[in-house]
Amino acid sequence: MSSKAIIVSNLTKKFSFSAKNPSFGWIKNLFHPEIKEIVAVNDISFSVNHGERIAFIGPNGAGKSTTIKMLTGILFPTSGNVNILGLDPTKDRKKLAYQIGTVFGQRSQLLPNLPLTDSFEFFGVMYDMSDEDIKKRIIELVEIFDLGSFMTQPVRKLSLGQRMRAEVAVSLIHKPKIILLDEPTIGLDVVAKKSLRDLLIKINKEENTTIFLTSHDVGDIESLCDRTIIINHGVMIKDLPTSDLAKTFVYEKYIDLIPEKNFNNFPLLPHGIRYSLQDKNKITVVVDINKINVQESLKKLLDLFLVEDIDVYNADLETVIRHIYERDSTGN
Amino acid sequence: MKEIRLATKILKTLIKDSFQYPSRLVAETIIVISRCGLLLLLYSYVFKINNGVINGTTFLFSAWSIFLYFSLSTLKLRQISKLIAQDVQSGNVEVLFSKPASYLFYRMWWQIGSGLYSFIVITIMGVIVLIALIGIPHTMTIGIFIPTLILTFIFGIILSLFLYTIVGLLSFWIEDSNPVFWTVDKAVMILGGSYLPIALFPPLMYKIALYTPFGSSQFVTHTVYESWQTTWTKLIGIQLFWVLISGLVVYLIFRKAKQKVSVNGG
Repeated sequence: MSSKAIIVSNLTKKFSFSAKNPSFGWIKNLFHPEIKEIVAVNDISFSVNHGERIAFIGPNGAGKSTTIKMLTGILFPTSGNVNILGLDPTKDRKKLAYQIGTVFGQRSQLLPNLPLTDSFEFFGVMYDMSDEDIKKRIIELVEIFDLGSFMTQPVRKLSLGQRMRAEVAVSLIHKPKIILLDEPTIGLDVVAKKSLRDLLIKINKEENTTIFLTSHDVGDIESLCDRTIIINHGVMIKDLPTSDLAKTFVYEKYIDLIPEKNFNNFPLLPHGIRYSLQDKNKITVVVDINKINVQESLKKLLDLFLVEDIDVYNADLETVIRHIYERDSTGN
Repeated sequence: MKEIRLATKILKTLIKDSFQYPSRLVAETIIVISRCGLLLLLYSYVFKINNGVINGTTFLFSAWSIFLYFSLSTLKLRQISKLIAQDVQSGNVEVLFSKPASYLFYRMWWQIGSGLYSFIVITIMGVIVLIALIGIPHTMTIGIFIPTLILTFIFGIILSLFLYTIVGLLSFWIEDSNPVFWTVDKAVMILGGSYLPIALFPPLMYKIALYTPFGSSQFVTHTVYESWQTTWTKLIGIQLFWVLISGLVVYLIFRKAKQKVSVNGG
């Protein structure tokens, strides 16, 4: 067996659509409409090892969902190749479906009016499992995902957090080797998010399931994924261990200044230092250590402000990711 | 074997789902009985003022013919086009495309399952009421009636599913397939003998009903007439022809449609 669970080479997806041109007459618009094309995914390549936990992130419209849909065989690539567990999703979609699980955060696959047990049994049959295997697997998943207290409730009566746990559990009914999750924590509260992340880590460790996840939630990336791929405008801009992500902007330090009383004026800052937050109760500045070191900047800041407390720290992951998107958008 | 197991599971699941809403079944029964009952009252009067016979047929035959149309319609097969359109427009198609089952196979059995419980209950009730009120024509007691009824019923289901699936699949290309749905649906209703029993059709309309897929999908309404005994092989042949043609069209359109998938966020 290849050590790679997913191999993506030069993958491109273009969407073309007809657009009405106001300068054309209606007949020309009807029979010869103007065809516009957008490149949703542009020549991306990466690979994923068995058992890895990958975050595939990017701003809205970056091409994340398009990519995940090409990986599952739902969308056909315009060019390039996808190889998942040795299969080509465009040719072997059904065969591949037995090997992978999918969760689309904004869509439900559960049977809304029936108890959760029926959804498990239903998909067990769809994945061609024997009745005995379905029963055994349900017991396992109920235990892992702690579904026991609401297994007999109709799905429509479950809370969003319970439903998402159930969605993920149902998608694992056939013990897939890879699970692809498209924004699984969307809309969940912090407790439900944490619970779902913990469960995904558990399933990854216990069953060596490869996790490939798209998300806007930095918490998902930070606590769940050991590697992050960043995509923007359909182009892959970073592929690095999540722990290295924060180091990407290591030349920037953040300094919080807490006033003795209140900050009443906000003077011009020395070269290399800029305001990030200006508030009478707190000032945050960003120091570019390529231009001025931390010690020097602290001295200059203390000359300018009367402070009670100081905190120096690196940018959080969310800020780092935002910077990466912004830098990519401005082409810097 | 796997397909049979899945189809059975879909049917069982949806019958169980139907039990969750007994009030829905009661409402559907009332609607079907009202619509069918009104038409039967109307035709009983029309036949009465024509001395009981129009175009060589009596109310007894026409009533059963109309009832068989309504019985088949309780399966709600036409809804498959709306379901497919909804899947495409909402993007739900991606959930179903990621499963190891054919999307259309799944949707067709789902549609049959959705109406199966209502069909069984309403048909049994209707048969009992009609027998009690007007009796049954002798044509329904002949040996070939039941087997040919079942055969034309099955072909009718398949053909209806294919026709409405074609309409639904158009959603991959056009934003609103409702006008197409409306046209096809009315053609099926009129040529199938829902408003006017087929025995009362003028010759040209009868021919159109006979040779178009819209009329053929409802050949079950022909089974109670005397002519069925001599024409059933021809009619079932026509049905089979349209099943094959429409099945091929479904296959070809779906092959193209799969490449047209474009869902929200993707």
